[in-house]
Amino acid sequence: MSRTPVLSPVRTIFLILAAASVLLVSALRAAPAPSARQLVAEAALAEDAAKKRELIGRLMGQSDPAIAPLLEAWRTDALFVFTAPDGAKIPVQLTGEKDPAGTQAAARIDTGAPLADAAGQPLRLAASALAAVEHTSSLRRAMKAVLDLADLAAPAPAVRIKAILTIGLAQDAEKLPALVARLGVETDPGVIRALRESIAIARLKDADDAVKLTALGELRELNSLASTDFLTRALKEAETAEKPALVKAAKDALRAVEGHRSFVDFFGTLFRGVSLGSILLIAALGLAITFGLMRVINMAHGEMIAVGAYTTYLVQNIFGAGITIPFFGFSLPIFGLNLTGAAYQWYFIAALPLSFLAAALVGIGLERSVIRFLYRRPLESLLATWGVSLVMQQGLRLMFGANNVQVSSPVYLSGNWTVNDIIFGWNRVFVVGFAILIVFGMWLVLTKTPLGLLIRASMQNRTMASCMGVRTERVNMLTFGLGSGLAGLAGAFLSQIGNVGPSLGQGYIIDSFMVVVVGGVGSIGGTIISAFGIGGIDQVLQQYLPSIAPGLTWVPGIGSFLQNLAQDAAVFGKILVLAGIILFLQWRPAGLFVTRSRNLED
Amino acid sequence: MPHPLLSVEDVSKSYDGFKAITNLTFYLFEGELRTVIGPNGAGKSTFFDLITGRAKPDKGKLDFGTDPSKSHDLTELNEYEINRLGIGRKFQTPSVYTEHSVWDNLVLSLKGPRGVFASLFHRLDSADRDRLDEILKTVRLDAKRDWKAGLLAHGEKQWLEIGMLLAQEPKVLLVDEPAAGMTDDETDRTGELLLSLAGKHSLIVIEHDMAFVKQIARNGQVTVLHQGTVLCEGKFDEVQSDPKVREVYLGRGKHGTR
Amino acid sequence: MSAATVRRIEWIAVAVIAFALIVLVPLLHANGAISNFWISVFGKWLCYALLAISVDLLWGYTGLLSLGQALFFTLGGYMHGMYLMRMIGELGQYKKPIPDFLVFLGWERLPAFWEPFASFPFALTMVFVVPGVIAYLFGFLAFRSRIKGVYFSILTQALTYAASIMFFRNNLLLGGNNGFTDFKFILGYKLNEPGTIRGLYLATAVTLLLVFLFCRWLSKTKFGLVQQAIRDGENRVLFSGYATAHFKLFIFVVAALIAAVGGALYTPQVGIINPGEMQADKSLEAVVWVAVGGRGTLLGPIVGAISINALKSWATTAYPDLWLIILGGLFILVVLFLPGGIVSIPARLKALAQKLRAKPEAAAPAKP
Repeated sequence: MSRTPVLSPVRTIFLILAAASVLLVSALRAAPAPSARQLVAEAALAEDAAKKRELIGRLMGQSDPAIAPLLEAWRTDALFVFTAPDGAKIPVQLTGEKDPAGTQAAARIDTGAPLADAAGQPLRLAASALAAVEHTSSLRRAMKAVLDLADLAAPAPAVRIKAILTIGLAQDAEKLPALVARLGVETDPGVIRALRESIAIARLKDADDAVKLTALGELRELNSLASTDFLTRALKEAETAEKPALVKAAKDALRAVEGHRSFVDFFGTLFRGVSLGSILLIAALGLAITFGLMRVINMAHGEMIAVGAYTTYLVQNIFGAGITIPFFGFSLPIFGLNLTGAAYQWYFIAALPLSFLAAALVGIGLERSVIRFLYRRPLESLLATWGVSLVMQQGLRLMFGANNVQVSSPVYLSGNWTVNDIIFGWNRVFVVGFAILIVFGMWLVLTKTPLGLLIRASMQNRTMASCMGVRTERVNMLTFGLGSGLAGLAGAFLSQIGNVGPSLGQGYIIDSFMVVVVGGVGSIGGTIISAFGIGGIDQVLQQYLPSIAPGLTWVPGIGSFLQNLAQDAAVFGKILVLAGIILFLQWRPAGLFVTRSRNLED
Repeated sequence: MPHPLLSVEDVSKSYDGFKAITNLTFYLFEGELRTVIGPNGAGKSTFFDLITGRAKPDKGKLDFGTDPSKSHDLTELNEYEINRLGIGRKFQTPSVYTEHSVWDNLVLSLKGPRGVFASLFHRLDSADRDRLDEILKTVRLDAKRDWKAGLLAHGEKQWLEIGMLLAQEPKVLLVDEPAAGMTDDETDRTGELLLSLAGKHSLIVIEHDMAFVKQIARNGQVTVLHQGTVLCEGKFDEVQSDPKVREVYLGRGKHGTR
Repeated sequence: MSAATVRRIEWIAVAVIAFALIVLVPLLHANGAISNFWISVFGKWLCYALLAISVDLLWGYTGLLSLGQALFFTLGGYMHGMYLMRMIGELGQYKKPIPDFLVFLGWERLPAFWEPFASFPFALTMVFVVPGVIAYLFGFLAFRSRIKGVYFSILTQALTYAASIMFFRNNLLLGGNNGFTDFKFILGYKLNEPGTIRGLYLATAVTLLLVFLFCRWLSKTKFGLVQQAIRDGENRVLFSGYATAHFKLFIFVVAALIAAVGGALYTPQVGIINPGEMQADKSLEAVVWVAVGGRGTLLGPIVGAISINALKSWATTAYPDLWLIILGGLFILVVLFLPGGIVSIPARLKALAQKLRAKPEAAAPAKP
């Protein structure tokens, strides 16, 4: 703003106010001054480069939405000067489709209206016949400055915030008045916060200690995470300059920001832990039924998840343009409904029951063809279902290709929700809610329906149940179908979180088994607690391992090795979780909740 | 009065809230043959589980050894350590190694070192062979020594398991329903065998079959368990005429003396 | 047929196979009837046979289905691979005295733990020590807390999984994704010379024979009896005074060492070792070999490893898309319909023939 070394605070404030009012007025006033379009048109015709720059510079801080596309057109050589038969030069833009002669409709820059000849008929022009308005690098710089500021007035708050922070983080003193001006008219609280933050950060470079002090106070109050580096720098400067008041203020601000950061980290970690726990839970619930209640080790559980995910993919394509699936040399065309907009967005909701059904049917087929012969031979069922998993993986690969397929997120699952700097992804929030819903649903099925009663009876005592007239064969089939269906449902959700590929299930199978084993086989409650426990611990380790990594060097021999490893927080965290599970089983070999058996060999 | 070989004092054990054993006190003296009876669910098998280390009591003492200064606290030992002290068990359902021959079943049970490396370089000497031959004769499986144990009839498996118990030469034999699945003749012989073991060994026999109990409880004490605790103890006749026992177990003469 | 005759036939079969593998194949290679490529492939299959024996010792004989044997195999391979990497000397791409991938990661000097691997005896010791210690620690914890059955399988799989994601990292300084490759020398011999190739093959075949004889001996000792008794009724063994955990730990470590030797021989013959070898699927594949060959026998895993791998090398070129479906389907069929595997086929056929012959005399009771 001002480079004068000695400047009283009063004068500074006066100057700021003055600048602000000027910009404010110029931003609000429209009619008397030339409009943005007129300015651009004038600049395009100006002979002198300096004059062009000056005219463009006057666009600074204006919020007219026409500015950005016009300057963009200029920079990309799409702004032309049309010389009318009467010799008048009119800057124009070409729009619309080219006709066979290569001509397009033309629009006047100064008004935006179609270019018309003397008779009032619209003119069509060919780009090749016109000269593009030239631009030098200094002019382009000026345009960029204008565009940066133009975004300050963009209609979407997110765009405004981004532009504001860009300016603030660059500590661009020249654009400070624009920010101050914007603060005066802004109404969106999120943008106001960004403005205050950016202004304060930019003012840390101010020569005046009083301004700096105010800025430091502001940053402390805002708990501005973005300002950490600037605060550190300001603190260093203040220490070198031996200004105790500034040092103290900078330290206070830093402490506040750091405190806020650990708060954000903590709750962010907590949320990520809960959402990972929900993912694990959703993936493991099906297994809690097939493994926990039926004692069948279904290594193809992961592929059931994949079936659910691919069903979602298919439904998405059916709602969209359709798809052709190659299947052992045949092509299976599936027609699409070609829906768009809101109707298309429903595809995910439609996919949920279908994923459940598809996986449940595959599960029932698997139970009838393989698993029912292996009920008393758990190790064999493990092996045979692994064979099934290989066949299914390869089958998926042949049908959908070896690469990941694209499953898009419906609008209601995209985007974030930021509270107090803590970011909640919508898809993750949804997964948490869904986990609660599915657990509740399962509880209902198991406790309130006749099927649930039959399942529980047969699982507790198969022989007794069959003596009581329960058709255990059918119950087994349905139970396995239920467990597989849950896996399919999990797949539908996981398609929103990770990649969908033929080996999708492999990524979840080990985790799912761990969750069930730690929770205690046969205990749904244990599965829930263990999913959240494992998810939480994993995320805590990922968050805090890097900070303890340097402390690992003391371990004799392998210290530096451990330190290296701890830097890979995700991998090392996972390994620690697995090691923790093995140690946990030393303490509780049967998991959290023991379902006791009194047979000799069990 | 001598110190008991096995003292069970004020022991309780519950599973998921179900009280299998409640404040049970029981003493077994050297050379004794004790018969334990009681209705289903009286806690008889849990009682054996506690002694053999399969289950740990929630409270109470389990001591083994006639010399109080050298006795062993069974609650601190696990199954194989307790077995090595000389407590052998025959399970209710015959459990033999079905894939091994009758002979190998006995070889595995033969008294001797039980360590990994001892077993790697173990050889049977002639005394061992003689001992195994003798046991085979006792349990009348001499002719089937090379048979897979899984192919034996139910009663033969019971005999084999008794033979395995003998091969261990334990101080105390815990025998759970030895007569189940045997013919009358076999039951009779089992009774004789058990009676002949008393004196050299100490035995606790759990049994349902009253005729069999009458046979083996000829000289010894009978303990009646009910709802996880000792209902009464005494000679067979005393127990049989005890009104409490008649009510809970022999009740209304249904089980009678078969 | 008496038991003695069966045993004699078995020994003759072993002798014939041993002669073919140890004498015939090297001779045919020496006179050119078998190419360098194929003798290396045979060598690889024999390494897999070692892995299969280690799976069978645990699964077939002790009832412990370990899905972690590929881990020990690969660890053995890595330990030997570290020696082979050091033997490359300055002949790598970067012409530096340290392995190429370290140069690529920006290292100038050898990390300390790589130093001693220039010594073959040291590397050989590590081939046993590293897998042995890991097997001991894991087995100690698992068996102490009486983890068995499918829980044991799942935990061994988790162990392997943890190790594999670790080995995939560059930070471990063991080559990351790519592992070790481009070996040049072993004990001063050039790896690409026919004599060296034949020597390595021969070493593998002899090792396999020795391991076979060792396992054969083991299964006949009282240890073997206890081992199989644990498989059929662990609690009974416990109540007979045997500390089953110690027996299981011993056999788990022995099996890990056998797998590790297989891996150590695998590395120079295949010319590459990477973390892909220790993924969960590899362990399960080894279980397929055993299941198909015949578990609980010693010839079974060898037959299974060789025949499935022969099938694989044919199918992956003839029907690359269908190989996994063939493998999976084969596995399902064997588990469901042929639990005894290939080696049980003669006995089954004999039983079938007897049954057919016995049919006319209808109700003749079959004596066991």
